Parts: sequence; C-alpha cells; structure tokens
Amino acid sequence: MSSILDRASRNFLWQHPWQLALAIVGIALGVAVVISIDLAMESSLTAFEQAGKAFSGTATHRIIAGDGGLDERLYTRLRVEQGIQKIAPVASAYVQLTEQTEESFRLIGIDPLIEKSLQAVWQQQQKANKTSVFLTRLLSEPNTALMSEQSAQRLHLKINDDFTVMADSREQRLKVIGLLAPDNAVSEQVLARLLITDIATAQEVLGLFGRLSSIEVVLDKNRPEILAQIGKVLPANALLISTDSQSQSMREMTRAFSINLKAMGLLSLLVGMFLIYNTMTFLVVQRRRLIGSLRAIGVTRRQIFKLIIGEAFLLAIIGTLIGIALGIALGQGLLYLISETINAIYFRIDTTSLMVSPVQIGKGVLLGIGATLLAVLPPAFEATRFSPVTVLTRSQLESGSRRLIKVAGLISLVLIAGGMALAFFSGKSISLGLASIFLLLFGFALLTPNFTLLSMRLIERLFGRFLGILWRLPPRMISAEISRTGIAIAALMIAVAATIGMDLMIGSFRQTVAQWLQASLRADLYVSLPGEKMTADKILADHRLKEKLAELPNVQMLSSVLHTKIITDDEFTKVSVFELNAKSKKGFIFKHKVGDDLWNRFEQRQTVIVTEPYAYHHDISIGQKILLQTAQGNEPFEVIGIYADYSGDQGHLAMSRHNFQHYWSDLGYSGIGVYAKDGTDLQQLENQLSKLVTAEQSVKSDRAIYKASMEMFEQTFTITETLRWLSAAIAFTGVFSALMALQFERTRQLGILRAIGITPRQLTALIFGETGLMGLTAGLFAIPAGNVVAYVLIFVVYQRSFGWTMAFYFNPWVIYQGLALAFIAALFAGIFPALKMAKTKPAEALRTE
Amino acid sequence: MTTEAAITIQQLSKSYQESGRQHEIFSKLDMQVRRGEFIVLFGRSGSGKSTFLNLVSGIDPPDRGKVIINGINLTGLTEHERTLFRRHHIGFVFQSYNLIPTLTVAENLLLPLELIKRITVKDKDKVAGLLARLNFADRLDSYPDRLSGGEQQRVAIARALIHDPDVILADEPTGNLDLDTGKQVLELLDTLVKKAGKTMIMATHSQEVIGMADRIFSIHNRSLVSR
Ligand SMILES: Nc1ncnc2c1ncn2[C@@H]1O[C@H](COP(=O)(O)OP(=O)(O)OP(=O)(O)O)[C@@H](O)[C@H]1O
Ligand SMILES: [Mg+2]
Repeated sequence: MSSILDRASRNFLWQHPWQLALAIVGIALGVAVVISIDLAMESSLTAFEQAGKAFSGTATHRIIAGDGGLDERLYTRLRVEQGIQKIAPVASAYVQLTEQTEESFRLIGIDPLIEKSLQAVWQQQQKANKTSVFLTRLLSEPNTALMSEQSAQRLHLKINDDFTVMADSREQRLKVIGLLAPDNAVSEQVLARLLITDIATAQEVLGLFGRLSSIEVVLDKNRPEILAQIGKVLPANALLISTDSQSQSMREMTRAFSINLKAMGLLSLLVGMFLIYNTMTFLVVQRRRLIGSLRAIGVTRRQIFKLIIGEAFLLAIIGTLIGIALGIALGQGLLYLISETINAIYFRIDTTSLMVSPVQIGKGVLLGIGATLLAVLPPAFEATRFSPVTVLTRSQLESGSRRLIKVAGLISLVLIAGGMALAFFSGKSISLGLASIFLLLFGFALLTPNFTLLSMRLIERLFGRFLGILWRLPPRMISAEISRTGIAIAALMIAVAATIGMDLMIGSFRQTVAQWLQASLRADLYVSLPGEKMTADKILADHRLKEKLAELPNVQMLSSVLHTKIITDDEFTKVSVFELNAKSKKGFIFKHKVGDDLWNRFEQRQTVIVTEPYAYHHDISIGQKILLQTAQGNEPFEVIGIYADYSGDQGHLAMSRHNFQHYWSDLGYSGIGVYAKDGTDLQQLENQLSKLVTAEQSVKSDRAIYKASMEMFEQTFTITETLRWLSAAIAFTGVFSALMALQFERTRQLGILRAIGITPRQLTALIFGETGLMGLTAGLFAIPAGNVVAYVLIFVVYQRSFGWTMAFYFNPWVIYQGLALAFIAALFAGIFPALKMAKTKPAEALRTE
Repeated sequence: MTTEAAITIQQLSKSYQESGRQHEIFSKLDMQVRRGEFIVLFGRSGSGKSTFLNLVSGIDPPDRGKVIINGINLTGLTEHERTLFRRHHIGFVFQSYNLIPTLTVAENLLLPLELIKRITVKDKDKVAGLLARLNFADRLDSYPDRLSGGEQQRVAIARALIHDPDVILADEPTGNLDLDTGKQVLELLDTLVKKAGKTMIMATHSQEVIGMADRIFSIHNRSLVSR
C-alpha cells in the first residue's frame, strides 16, 4: 500500500487524539481485566501445586489419610515387609511463629535418610554437599529446622537462632541450623513459608505421635504391580493417589469459580468491543469524504479495507500491550482477593506473588487483537462501500443505519430466544450457562436502539407540548443520531444490566444463606474444637470437655458435630457426623417432603443424608445407596434425605454419630452446640464456657456465628464486585467516547444554535439533557435485561456451578441503584464533551460542516 | 454618528494566529450602515467576508475597534450579553445547513421566537402564515433534510426574519444553489427585507444582487472599498 495513502488517512487520525486514546483505553482495559484474572487464578493454583512439589519432589504417588492420619507402622510395613524402597514419610501441618510474625508456616517433617532420593524442589537448589550436611544435622540434633534465606531475613533470624513454633496449643523451641538458597523465583515462592525438620521433630511439634500425614511414593514405571501391593496393606481411611490426579482434582474443585471469574473478564472485553466499534465507525464515517476522494482517484475497495484494518491492527497492538502491562498490575491486586476467596471456600493456599507465563501473555495478545479486529469488521466493510462520487450526508448515513437497526431488532429477538433456550437446555454445563447470558446480553444490546427510538418517541409524545422547542432537542438528537447514541446506550446498558443481575443474584443468595443460617443455628452457644484430629490425647480432651459442658447447671442439652472425611469411590468425601437433639433436628431444611420416621431412620439404620450440592454433583436421589469404605470393607448407606447447605459447594454427607462410631474410629468433635435452660443469662454462660476451653478452642453465640458467616459470605463476593466495577469503568469510557464523537459530529449544528442566540449555558444544559436521557434509557432497559440475567445466574449458572438452589428475591433498591448508576455515569461522561462544546467559539463551529 | 445609522463600525481590526504567525484579515475598517439599507459585500474567497459578518454579529470578537448596532457597542459586551443581543436583534442566513436538522420546519421558525418570549397561538399562526406565503403550508412538519437546497434557504430566510430583528446578515445565501434558484432566493430576501424595512448586509459572489443593493463594498487588501 502506498505510503501517501497511509499518510492521508493517518493524518486524519492524529487530528482525533481523543478518539484514538479512548479506543486504546477500551482495548487495554478489556485485555487487562481478562489477563489479570487469568494470571491471578493460575498463580494461586500453581502456587498450591508448587508447594506440593517442594517436598514431594519426584514422587508420582502419595498415600494420604483422612482425619486421624496414617499409622507410621504402615510405612515400616511397606518398606520392610513389602520391600518397597522408594517411599518417604511426611508429617506436616501449619504452625505459627508467634514471636516473629502473624503469617503461618508450613512445617514439613521428613526422613533425612531417604529424603535425598526424592529430590524435592528444596534440595535441588542447594549444593549437594551442603544438602547432606543439613540432612545429617537435622537427623542428629533434635529440634532443628531449615528455612529459606529470605524467610530468615524476614523473620530476623540467623543460623543457630532459636524460635518458638506453635501448633494447636503446643509450643516448641526450634533452632535454625541451615538456610536454603532458592535459585529462582518459583522456588523462592515455594520456600517462602516453609520449615523443614526431621520427622521426629515434626511429630513432636505437631503432636502426631506415631502418625504420618502422608507417604510419598516414587513409582517405577516398570513395576506397576507395586500399586496393587500397596493397595493390599492400605487401611480403610487411607488412599493411594497419583500426584497428578491430586492437582487435577484441585483444579476441578475450583473450576466453577474460575469459569465464573473468567466470564466476568470476557464481559469487560465485550463492553470494550463496543467502544472499539464505536470509535472505528466514527473514524471511518468522518473520513467518508477522504475515502470517497481516494476511491475517485483509483484506490480499490480492497486497499481501503486493508487501510482500515491496518489502523485497527495498530490500535489493537498498542492497546493490547498497554493492557498486558495493566493486567499484570491488576493481577497483583486480584491475586490477593482470589487467594483469599479460594482459602475461604475451597482449600488452604498460601499467599504468593504473581507468576506470568508467556502462554498467558500470548492468550491476552490474541484476545486483544482478535476482539479489536472483530469489532472493526463492520466499519471496515462500510468504508469500502463509500461512493467515489457522492458523499453521504449524516442524515443519509443515519437512514441507512435505521434499516440496520430494524434488522438488528429481529436478530436480537432470535438471540434472546436462543439465549433462553441455551440457558435451560444445556444440561449441567456452566460454560454454556454463562454463554447464554452473553447471548442474552448481546441480544438486549442489539435491541437497545429500537428501544431507544421508541422511548424517545414516547417522551416527545408525553412531554413534547410542555417542553418548548429547545427542550425537544435532546430526545430528537438521540433519535437522529441513533447509530452513535444507540451504541453508547447499549454499552452502558450491558454494564448496568450485568450489575443489576449480579446484585439481584448476590442479594437473593445473601437472603437465602441468611435464612438458612438462622434456621440451622439452633443452639445458644457453639464451642468449636479445631485442630488436627490425629492425636489420641486430643480426642480424650474433646470427650472430657463435652462431659464438663453437660454437667453445667444451666445447660439443658448438647448437640455435636464432627467434620471428617470418608473414602467413597476412591476419593475423600466430607462427612459431618451429628449427635442431634430435638431442637437441632429442626435446623435442617430438606429439599423434599419428609416422613415422620426420617430422624428415626437416621439414628437407627445404615443411612445418610446428603447436602444439596452433593446430590447435584453426584446425581444422587433419595433411596439410592452410597458405598462408604470402612475397616470391614465397603458398606452401603442409604440416602434418606437431601438438605440445604451453603457452607461449601462440593457438598458433603451427614450421618448419625451412632452410625459413624459403628464403622470408624473415634475422632472427637469439631463442634459442640450448647442449649441453655430457659431463663439462663447467656452472656454469663458464655463466660463460664470460655474458661473451660483452650486457647484455640472458642465459644461463640449463635449471633456471633451468624455474623461471622455473613461476613465470610460478603468476602467471597469482593472479587465479583471489584470486577463488576471494572466493566462499569469500561462502559463509562465507551459512553464518554461516543459522546465525544457525537459532539464533534454536530459542531456545525451547535454553531448555528449559538449564532441564533443560544447561550453556552443553554448548550451545556442541552447536552446534559441528552446524556442524562441516554443514561436513563440505558438504565431503564437494563432493568428487564438485568432481571433476566439474575434469573439465569440464580437458576442456571449458580445452580450448576455450586449445586445449590436459591430463591429469587427481588429487591427494588437494586433497580434504583442501577438506574442511578446509569444516569450518573452518563451525566459524568457528558461533562467534558458539554464543556468542550460550550467553549467552542461559534465562529469556528460555523466553519465546520 | 447620525441617528439614522443602524450599524456603525469603527477602526475594526482582526487577525488570526496560525501556526505561530499572525495573519491579519482587516485593519482599521470604518463603515456606517443606515437603517433599512441593503449592503452587498464582494470579495475573493478568503478575503474575509465571513469574518466580517461574524464580527458584526458579535459571533467573533474583534482584536480592536467597535461595532455599534442600535447604539449598543457589541465589543463592550460579554460573550453572554452578545449572545442575548443576537437573539433579539440579528437574523442569520448562511450558505447551507442553516436549519437545525432535528427540528421541523415550523419548529425551526419558532425557535428564535421561543428564545425571546413565550410562544403563543398567535406566534404559531404567524409562522404558519409566513410559511404559507412561501408556499410551505403543507410542509410545516417536514424535517429539513426532506427539503431541497433552495427550499431550505427559503425557510432559513423566514427564520432570520421571524423574530423581527433589526439587522439581517446573509453569508453567501445562494452559494450552494443553481442560478435560477439562487435568483429566486435573492428576490425573496430582497422583497421580504425591504418590505419589513430591515437593514441587511450580504456577502456574496452572485452578480444578480447588484441591482438590488443600495451600496456595494468589496474587501480588498484588508480594507473595505466602496464600488
Ligand atoms: N479560525 C481561523 N484560524 C485561522 N485562520 C482563519 C480562521 N478563520 C478564518 N481564517 C482565515 O481568514 C481568512 C478569511 O476567511 P473568511 O472565511 O472570512 O473568508 P471568506 O471571504 O468568507 O471566504 P469565502 O468566500 O471562501 O467564504 C482566510 O484566509 C481564512 O483562512
Ligand atoms: Mg465565507
């Protein structure tokens, strides 16, 4: 392509720096949000996997146990009796370094003698001779530990310094005997919160006498029979899993969360695409004269098309690069929010720093450029159709777009119908559920121009006669330039509809959870008994505490729960073991009609009840039997109830303590509910109980638990809200850019208004009138769209993601807020264009055409 | 200054700053226009005709000098005051795109009225009457883009007169029209303005106007030359 041709049109671009900047902002923000989510999510999960590798090294498999841990004799048996060489015992748990920091550290106890064969990550970083010195000292000197140089620095510890670690309520002094030097960022991450000790030391610190957390296994590919060999001696509460499948199941667990987050990122990109589309259309339409002249002197359509696409490509690259830089910065912020949320609802992960991989950057680049080019195709085609002879006037262009709007209206109906159909006929797929929301939003967006035209006509009909000629202008201008205003309104509508949809969903969810909590929190006070449930003395202490509670004069009765894991179908399943009383039984909300004998059967027979998410994920219905692994082999338990539970999205089983004790060993309690006699001073009772419990046990009233749970609920939505604001910010930029384009295009018209005596202030008021109306229109149309989105979120996406049902609670405040948001955003976006136009000298405005 | 003078221009200078260079359009123009006079302004393209009209109407402030209309010195007024002054005292006809595209023909005519007073039924009748005289009786509710260029100019002339201003400024009102239509528009302008006794300054290239004008000037070398 000739460089003169390039220059002819590029000069034009430089005269519209605002539009260029805004288009770049649109691309950049869209890309930034998408990749920041990707980066933060991946970093959180990778950190988790890396931490695993830190001590598992080359291990291919791992023997893990539920609560109670593994008997260390299993290890000896495997090694001595079965002659399996490449295995290593591990005792590990989180500890507190109370003197130095709030952070918790992971303490890993290893067997220094065998450890070397495992080549764990931490060893690879060290010089070989150094490692063996460390290992020998760990073994020979009791209560010694290794940590990374960075940790030591952070904690102000030097070699041979002592420090106190605390696990449960045990305290122990350890001595730093060696500092590990990680040689890259990943291993630095992994080692950042790690203490390595000899296994005996770890068992002592953690109170795991004679117990192991896991046994690492390096499986020789040529000897697969070893797996079977191990399987034979495995106790009922232990499982042999491959390390790959473990990290896979972790990803599986967070999949729904991850998909939902990524969808929010894509939403931002979609809104960003409207912005790009708008800008490029503006830049093309404004150049219709230039393009016409170029065509007249012999430039082909193909050349014109290439020219426009070339420009878009340039914008896309700049925008995407900025977006990636921005995304990395944003990812840093999101990382914290995301790992907090994963911590709160899934599993424990340590906070980490952001890890950026070329693949993710590549994805960002592709998305940014792809989205831009897609958005720019329509205006690029339009450009090729500009006639070399006649230059279309603005109103001719508009009448062309009216035809388009009619077509868009029809397409939108198809999209909305298709979206609804997809929502309800896509099985259990979360992605398709979310895709249906995108279809719906896009459908509503395409319908926006029609809705706008209709509203403006209605406004005129209703208020026209009272308004005077001047004030008829705002609605008229919106209709007259619908190809611009329509896009701005659509972008704003999408953002506000998404906001309304999410707010209604979160509100409904909040209400549902609140009601569930209120219904299920039946006791007056709750004692929680956290900590590793592996140690015999803890179990004993639990029982003693419960007896003491029962003897208190003001206590009418108790209930108890134990949260543990049982193996079903070769995986661990969470189980709540209940000791219920008449009151606590009322706390269960069943999702079906319940017979009178349910509780009787729950106590007497081999039965379980399951939570709604569990039933959803495992396709369980009443009457079905679940095989649970016991010491005597697999035992069938009949499902007799499905109940509401919002405490986790994977779901769990529940059985009576009576049932549990019959097949599994005692593991103490996780919580005890205390029911006071009528007329008891609860505060006094709480104080009394507090004196009975240890430091890490706690006594909380039902109110306090309710409050804490609701706070946790809000916390899990911080990330959602943050992301929502980002897409709103992009929509705002879109409206701003459209308004700038609009005001530029009607400079001449505003000049005439000024010439015939309209003051700058009146002009400003007119433009605000127009933008305010645009905002209101977007807000109004976002109400039905937002309700549909909420509906699909509640009954399709969230149900599929987490397996629980919730009721739809309509909250009019959400609607008012949405309206206000749209209105205020539009007004704000109008400030600068309005001021700029009011300040434009009429003489100059009249020179334009 | 005679009492007859509708427009007095004294020592008017205007220059533009363009890429750092001062570009002088006029310096020290003087001119007196009597009430009811029809002044025609000739001049090469770029000689400053539009600029001159903008200075007279107060759309553009001069660098130095005075523009006095009906005894009021526009250059002593603020931007806001000049805008209000235009509302009441000046009617405009530009070369093209004179009308507000989103208002109907009738509304375009009512707008200048609405800016100075409350619109009454009588005003609406007045607009309808004026348009009927121009043969637009059936197009009151048409939007400007449905009209031909000549028709638009005729409506623009009606708009310039509707609120009874003292001065009409016309900047190449026939510039975009063919010869015949141009002639018709000029004749219309002439009759309407003369009949109403308005003062008018018209910038044009059209020679047809020579017979109608009271005085003819042209801008030459940054000053006004009487012809
Ligand atoms: N805002 C401005 N900045 C710089 N120069 C200007 C500006 N406005 C006008 N000019 C210059 O002032 C001169 C006079 O312009 P003007 O539009 O008054 O001429 P004109 O006589 O009306 O021409 P035409 O017959 O083509 O309409 C021109 O050379 C023009 O380039
Ligand atoms: Mg001119």
